[in-house]
Amino acid sequence: MTDASTMQGATPPETAREPLLRVVKGSKTYGGVHAIEDVDFDLYAGEVHALVGENGAGKSTLCKAIAGAINLSAGDFILDGRPANFEQPRDALAAGICMVYQETSLVPTMTAAQNIELGNEKLLTRFRTLNIQAQQLLQSLNFHVDPATPVGLLGAAKKQMVEIARAVYNKARIIIFDEPTATLTPEEIVHFFHLIRDLRARGVAIIYISHALEESLQIADRITVLRDGRRVITAPSSELSRASLVQHMVGREVAQALYGRREKTEHIRREKVLTVENVTMGMTVKNMSFSVYAGEVVGIAGLIGSGRTEIAKIIFGALKRNLINGGTIRLKGRPIRYRVPKQAIDDGIAYITEDRKANGFFETMIVDDNIYIGHLATKKGWRFLLSRASKSKLANYWVDRLKIGALQRKARIIELSGGNQQKVVVAKVLAQDPSVVIFDEPTRGVDVGTIPHIHAEIRRLAEEGKAVVVISSYLPEVLSVSDRILVARLGRIVAEFDAAEATQDKLLYAAIH
Amino acid sequence: MAIDATTRRFGNVQLRARSFAANQERIVFLITAALIVLFGIGLPGFATVDNFLNLLRSISILGILGLGMGLIVISRGIDLSEVAIMAGSWSIALIEIQQGMGAAPAIMLALCLAVVIGCINGVMVAFVEAPPLFVTLAAGFVIYGAAFWFAPAWVVYAPKESRALLFLGAGQIGGVPVPIFVFAAAATVAHLFLSRTSIGRFIYAQGDNPDAARLAGIALRPLIVFEYALVAVLAWLAGYVWVGTTGSMQMAITQGTMIFDVILVVVLGGISLVGGRGGVFSVVAGCMLIGVLLNAFTIMDVNSEVQNIIRGFVLLAAIILDNWLHPRDEETARQGD
Repeated sequence: MTDASTMQGATPPETAREPLLRVVKGSKTYGGVHAIEDVDFDLYAGEVHALVGENGAGKSTLCKAIAGAINLSAGDFILDGRPANFEQPRDALAAGICMVYQETSLVPTMTAAQNIELGNEKLLTRFRTLNIQAQQLLQSLNFHVDPATPVGLLGAAKKQMVEIARAVYNKARIIIFDEPTATLTPEEIVHFFHLIRDLRARGVAIIYISHALEESLQIADRITVLRDGRRVITAPSSELSRASLVQHMVGREVAQALYGRREKTEHIRREKVLTVENVTMGMTVKNMSFSVYAGEVVGIAGLIGSGRTEIAKIIFGALKRNLINGGTIRLKGRPIRYRVPKQAIDDGIAYITEDRKANGFFETMIVDDNIYIGHLATKKGWRFLLSRASKSKLANYWVDRLKIGALQRKARIIELSGGNQQKVVVAKVLAQDPSVVIFDEPTRGVDVGTIPHIHAEIRRLAEEGKAVVVISSYLPEVLSVSDRILVARLGRIVAEFDAAEATQDKLLYAAIH
Repeated sequence: MAIDATTRRFGNVQLRARSFAANQERIVFLITAALIVLFGIGLPGFATVDNFLNLLRSISILGILGLGMGLIVISRGIDLSEVAIMAGSWSIALIEIQQGMGAAPAIMLALCLAVVIGCINGVMVAFVEAPPLFVTLAAGFVIYGAAFWFAPAWVVYAPKESRALLFLGAGQIGGVPVPIFVFAAAATVAHLFLSRTSIGRFIYAQGDNPDAARLAGIALRPLIVFEYALVAVLAWLAGYVWVGTTGSMQMAITQGTMIFDVILVVVLGGISLVGGRGGVFSVVAGCMLIGVLLNAFTIMDVNSEVQNIIRGFVLLAAIILDNWLHPRDEETARQGD
C-alpha cells in the first residue's frame, strides 16, 4: 500500500467531460419505506467512485438498480448522454454494466471457465477451446486460477477473480463491487487494489461499495456518501478524511452521541456466569476460551469468519461443538452442552440473531404475537390456552421499554422499518427473561435513530445484573457499549482489552495480525 | 408534502396487504356465494333444502381430511399418505370385525393404527429429517401394500347392524345428516386449537419460519411428530364417517385422485404452501366452492371429463392467486431492510 499517496494525486475527472452514467433523482420504495430517495449519482469512464454509508443507507439498493437487479420506483438513468432503462440484469449487462455481488453469484458445480462464459454459451462448446480462452483471459488479468477447477473448490479470493474475469469477458464498461474485500486477506486486498487500478487504466468505470472507510479513501477518486437513502455529499476523496466521512455518514449531531466513548463507570465484577474453555468446532472455532461476569457487557470484535457467531450459537445450542476434544462450557460452574436452543433458553441463555430476516421474526404475525411467542416458548411462560390480556400486557411493556414504533402495532412485522423489526426481535428474546444475553450484530441494518435505543437497552441489561455479550463488526459500537473487549481471529480469542484502554487501532491490529 | 405522500403510499400498501393477504378465503367465499345465487336462479333443483344438505354431506369427508391437510400445510409440511391412513386403518379394523372383533375395540384399533402411522411419519420428518413429501408418499405405498396383505380385499364391508360403527356416517339428527355435524364439530375444535392455544401458535410459527421458531425455543421435533399424529387422527375420523356413509372401506381410493382433491380444497381456500398462512376457514371455504361446483355439475349432468378439466383449472387459479398474494421474490423478501 505504498502508493497510497500517488493514488490521492490521480487526475480527478474533469467536470467538462460527459459522465458515462448518470442516475437522476433515483428513488426506490419497499412497502412504503424509502430505500433510496432522490439520489443523484454520476460516474465517469476511468474513475473509481466509492459509495459509503451505514447499513441500510441505500448503497446496495442504488447499485442493484444500476445493475438492473431491481427497478427504481422513480428516477432516470442516462447512459452515454442518452436515457436508458434497465428492466432486467440482462439489459444492464448488454449496456456493459456488471455487478460483482457480495454473495458470489457463481455456480459452484461448474468450472471457472464455464462460469466465465455463463450466459454467453454458444450452441456447442468445446471444453478445450473454452478452457484455452479462459486461460488466456485469466492470464491477461494476471490471475492464477485453473480454468478447469469447479468454482466450489476455490477460495473466496479466487472466486472473486473469476467474477472479475467474467465481468471483463462481458466487456464491462462499468463494474460494481459490493464489499469486495470483506472476505479477503490483507495480502489479497493489496493484489485486488492493483487489479482495480489496472481496470481503471483500461478506462473501466468502477463503483466501489465498502464499509472500510480507509479503503475507500485509498482507492477511490471520488466518494459519495449516502445516509438514510439520501445523498449527503459527493466529493473527490482527496478532500475527505475518515473523520469527515463518519460525520457525513451518521450526521453531525448524532456522531458524537452515538459513538462517543462511554464515560467510565465503576463496574464491580460480580460472580462468573459463563465460562468457555477451549471450545472447538470443526475449522471455524478452535480452542476458544473466555468468561463473562454478571453485570458487565463483553464486546467481541473481529473480522467476518473469525468464529464469533459460531461460538455464540454453540453456547446457545443452535450449533454443536465437537464431541471429542470439544472443550467445556460452564454456566455458573455447571458444564452444559445443549442439543437444541430450547434447553439453553430454559437455563436462561438468550441469543439475538444477526440475521433477523432469516431466523429472527415471524413475518406473518403482528408485533404483539411475535413478542408473545418468545414468552410462550419458555418453561415459565408456557400455557395451553392463549391469554389476550397477558399478551397485550407483555407487548405493551416491551413496546414502551424499547420505544418500538407503536403506531404500527397492528401491522405485520414485515411492514415495519428495519430498526423496529430489530427492536421486536430483541423484545421477543428478552421477554424470555434470560440471565445471559448474547447480541449478534445488534444494529446491523438498523436506522441511525434506533441505534441509541438498542445501546441503552444493552447497558440497562448489564445494570440489571445480567451477563451481556455483544458481537459486532463495527468497532465504534463495540467501544461504546462494552466494559471489556475481546478480539477474535481465526476461531480464537487473541486479545482482551479493558474498554478504557482500547482504541480502534488496537482492536483492528489484534483482529488482523 | 413529501411526508403526506409517503403516508398515503404507505397506507395504500397496508390496505392492499390487509384486504387480500389474509383473505384468500374471503375471495373464495364470495365466489361461492355468487355461484350459489347464480345456480339458485338458473338451475332448477339446486336451491332446495334437500340439495343443500346433500351438498354439505358430500363435502364433509373431504372437509375433515382437509382440516388435517390444512394443519400440516400451515406447518410447512404435507401429508400425501392421509387417504392411505384412512383406508388402511379402517380396512384392517373392518376385517377384524368380520373375524369376530367387537365394534368398539375395532374402532379403537383403527385409531391406534392411524396414530402409530402418523407418529412414524412424524419421526421420519422430524428426527430423520427426510422431506415430508417423500416420507408420506412412501408411507402411502407401504400402507397400501401392508393393508392389502392383512386384508386382501378391494372392498371390506362393515356389518350392517352395528349402529356404533355406522351412526357417524349414516345417521340423522332432526333430519340433518350426522356427517355435517361431525365436520362442523371437527372444524370448530380445529379452529379453537389453531387460534386459541399456544401449540396452535407454535404451528403457525413453525410454518412461518422454522429457523426462527427453533431459535425462539420451540421444541420443533416433538411438535412435528404431534402434527403428523393429529393428521392421522383426522384421517381416522374421516374414515369413520366414510364407513358409515358407504357401509364399507375401499382400498382403491388410495390409488385414486382423492388426495389431490384434499390438497385442492386446502390450497384453494388460501392455506399457502409457503406455510404459516390461512386457517380452518380456508378449508371450509375451499370445500364449499368445490362442493357447490360438483353438486351443480351433477345436477346439470356434466360428464366427468369436463368436471376434471374444470377442477384442474380451479386448482391452477388457486395456485396463481396464492402466488400473487404471497410473492416470494427477492424484492419483497428484502422489505424493511
